[in-house]
Amino acid sequence: MIATSAFILLIVSLIIQIVHFFKTKAAPDKVSSWLSLAAGVLLLIEIIRRSVAIQFIALTGLFESLVFLACLLSLLAFAMRFFNWSRENRVLPFGATIIAIIFLALASSPIAPSEVKPPVPALQSGWLILHVSFTFIGEAFFAVGFVSAILQLLTKDKDKAKNYDRTTYTSIAVGYPIFTAGALIFGAIWAEKAWGIWWSWDPKETWALITWLTYTAYLHLRLVRKNTSKLVPALVIIGFFVAMFTFLGVNFLMTGLHSYA
Amino acid sequence: MKSYLDRFYDTLRSVKLAIVLLAILVLLAIVGGVVPQGKPVDFYPAQFGGSIGKLIVLLGFNRVFSSIVFLITTALFAVNLTVCTFHRLTQELGKSWKKRRHGPDILHVGILILLFGAVLTARTRTENIIELQEGQSSALPDGSTLTLTAFNFETYPDGRPKTWVSTVTVGTHTQTQRQIKVNAPLREHGYSIYQKYWKNESEVVLLDPTGMEITLQQGMRQPTTGGFVFFMAINTDENPSQTQSPASLLAGANQNNPVFLVEDRGKRLVVKANEGDKVGPFIYKGTIEKSISGLSVVSDKGYPYVVAGFVLVAIGVFLTYVQKLKGLVI
Repeated sequence: MIATSAFILLIVSLIIQIVHFFKTKAAPDKVSSWLSLAAGVLLLIEIIRRSVAIQFIALTGLFESLVFLACLLSLLAFAMRFFNWSRENRVLPFGATIIAIIFLALASSPIAPSEVKPPVPALQSGWLILHVSFTFIGEAFFAVGFVSAILQLLTKDKDKAKNYDRTTYTSIAVGYPIFTAGALIFGAIWAEKAWGIWWSWDPKETWALITWLTYTAYLHLRLVRKNTSKLVPALVIIGFFVAMFTFLGVNFLMTGLHSYA
Repeated sequence: MKSYLDRFYDTLRSVKLAIVLLAILVLLAIVGGVVPQGKPVDFYPAQFGGSIGKLIVLLGFNRVFSSIVFLITTALFAVNLTVCTFHRLTQELGKSWKKRRHGPDILHVGILILLFGAVLTARTRTENIIELQEGQSSALPDGSTLTLTAFNFETYPDGRPKTWVSTVTVGTHTQTQRQIKVNAPLREHGYSIYQKYWKNESEVVLLDPTGMEITLQQGMRQPTTGGFVFFMAINTDENPSQTQSPASLLAGANQNNPVFLVEDRGKRLVVKANEGDKVGPFIYKGTIEKSISGLSVVSDKGYPYVVAGFVLVAIGVFLTYVQKLKGLVI
């Protein structure tokens, strides 16, 4: 019910943003970002409600992960507008809102059962919570970088492309350390404590490494190519698809230690 | 004009080489992420079709992460990282304190230590699985003794496991009780002991002619004057207390009635028993379920290096991008 309300708020926010795209001379829309904030807060309340019910932080299943990611993106969409993070102020929150809506739509589908279940022993770990939350916070920034990289590739205006490049780089530069800590470091520490081995080349681990290597390649390539090559933003787009495959695709196409995630 | 050695050094430390190596590692990891790893050779033709399956095995794609190509690429990456870090560090040390940026150096050193720890772990890690019932002990490789004093298993109302805890003592003299849970291993005597799994095992209780109880675990035999009584399995067949062929009895063996192989003066008989039935010279009294705790005893010399590597990577990666973002306005 709470997640559904948040979904409706995001849809309304999206419609308002679309209407304002066609009103180029109108005053900047002030409502949609607040609707995104309200949706983010509602999703946070949903996570807290579930956490109280299971007496553990509710980040141990696919439904909860999708809700958490949508929550982060809704809050980011608000922050981008409110704190005026991007010079291309309208498109990035719009992209973040769309991705948040997609995640919530997936959360409401049969692939993500919403039943509240307390965690099995392997999932009762503070390191797991750090692993999941940091990974998703990093991926929320990757999502912003993904939207910005698409715009960077699509625009023919050099100044706009430069601004988008900065936004892309900043999003990845913020998301990368958080993702590194969450997906690789905290993930490995949790694996060592739960299974007695840091790394077992489980499909989820392998794909998380591929995600990390892709963004590592982006950061290094940008060092030498700056914003002159289309390959640089293309890597960010590829990186996000790989990250989403790691999050969702691996769960349904492969079996491994992360089969509950 | 740079000498060949200088150019070689420049190539070894170059970002371009790093990007090429990262790209190769990504491609190899994709292969390892798509093709199931470490399966028997027959699995691949069956899964992917004859020719593709054979090609996967031929190219070593069934064991990508221990293949020569992967190991050489990783080694080259380590060399590239070492030379790059050395070059960067010498340059940074020449700058004033305020202008120095050591984030990438710490990050790169962290990755190198992590790689060293990973190699050490791969070469020295040992794992021994110990199965213990309450009250049982097992010797650890260093000669000390691990004793399971209690095992607690709880489930949620829907039947899913809630917690499994082994209470143990370790050592020759100490009687201090320690707990091992999933996600909370015990680190003692240079070992890490993990709660790996648990299982229930049935034991049968037999009464000898004097009325004394004898307990047999599955697969154990009890000598008799004419031969032995061997506890084979537990049978679910609804028509117990009769003799059948071993194959037909074992086909349904799972719960309820135990199946014994009885040898008496050279003659062998398979007996499926109900409580009170005669099994050789014994009377079958009943079955008791006992919980067995599966503990994994791991020794890993790479452990401290991996931990140190993670700490440095975490510090390095945050320093690098905090310093970069300071000068960046979106």
